[in-house]
Amino acid sequence: MDTVTVRVPPKADHLALLRTAVGWMAGRDDFTIDQVDDLKMAVEEAAVQLLRHGGSSDITLDMLATRTGVEARLHARVDSADPVIDETSFSWLILKALADDLEVDADADIATIVLRKTRMDLHNGDDVAVGDAG
Amino acid sequence: MRTSYTRDDTERLFRQLRASSDPELRAALAELHMPLVEYLAKRFKDRGEPLDDLVQVGSVGLLKAIDRFDLGRGVQFSTYATPTIVGELKRYFRDKGWAVRVPRRLQELSLRLNKVVAQLTQDLGRSPTVAEIAKYAGVSEEEVLEALESGQAYSTTSLDAPTGGDDDDSPMRVDRIGEEDLRLDNLEYFASLAPLIEQLPERERTILYLRFFRGMTQSKIAEHVGISQMHVSRLLTRILEFLREGMEGDAEF
Repeated sequence: MDTVTVRVPPKADHLALLRTAVGWMAGRDDFTIDQVDDLKMAVEEAAVQLLRHGGSSDITLDMLATRTGVEARLHARVDSADPVIDETSFSWLILKALADDLEVDADADIATIVLRKTRMDLHNGDDVAVGDAG
Repeated sequence: MRTSYTRDDTERLFRQLRASSDPELRAALAELHMPLVEYLAKRFKDRGEPLDDLVQVGSVGLLKAIDRFDLGRGVQFSTYATPTIVGELKRYFRDKGWAVRVPRRLQELSLRLNKVVAQLTQDLGRSPTVAEIAKYAGVSEEEVLEALESGQAYSTTSLDAPTGGDDDDSPMRVDRIGEEDLRLDNLEYFASLAPLIEQLPERERTILYLRFFRGMTQSKIAEHVGISQMHVSRLLTRILEFLREGMEGDAEF
């Protein structure tokens, strides 16, 4: 299982790179293009939220390919302990719709947003979750 | 001497303007909100254009917003105007050719893949993977990824275009989905978002609703609305961008 990391300065112009990176990763990893697009949009949305709450710190995206899918972990240093995404916000709703699994953590001054997407079962009957552990 | 106003006068000025169409009032409103234009223009200052020019471009957006603003919506004018001003600035850069230039080769591949995606979606009964598209089209996976990315970049139709005049390539079938659109009432929960969503053309609103409130996949939405999956993808990306711009204005003003 490889982890690929992309780190960008906190400027809106750089967020497209995060988006492209996750698209590249998931696209090469047997995700359907619907799912690839979902991931790209989700990563962008998460990065925008970190950008808004952080400001001066770089935004890091760690992408981990797992047997069942992909995990995108975005983190940045933030100024306040407030959650970067409120559960009643539109942003939360968007991320819940785009990712299969969403986690938002604030640990001291680092905010982390974890998005997971499970690879689709491309051939009915095959279970992608079963296989060697790699 | 012109009377001096403050932003607290905005609502009163709009009432008077709607009643009289007095150009003086329009000018007064524009002047009051120039700080908003200046603030937004500064966000584009790293792109090598003089700030004065950007402010001028942004003020065109401001005037459009002044002319279209509806007091009855109960939303702050600045919230309403922000995406319009930003839209004008973005269009300026695009028109100057500052947007990503997509090589002809990729444009053509992107158009071809559009059809391949539609065909495969039908054959497989689901959205295809990049590997499947590459195999079917006889190109590498890298080329597919590149073309999908460029498909995102080179469509530059503005969301800001007036509602109704739909310049896109496919027939709209909104008549069939009208009743779903009504359920956008769900959005009342997100009070500051509602006026922004009202500014979206009807098809965009429908796509937004189907994806985020109904959890429909892009491929299904494509089928439902009668456009390609890649087109749905582009529209969704742009819709989110538009809403973010607007919400940012809301938080700051």
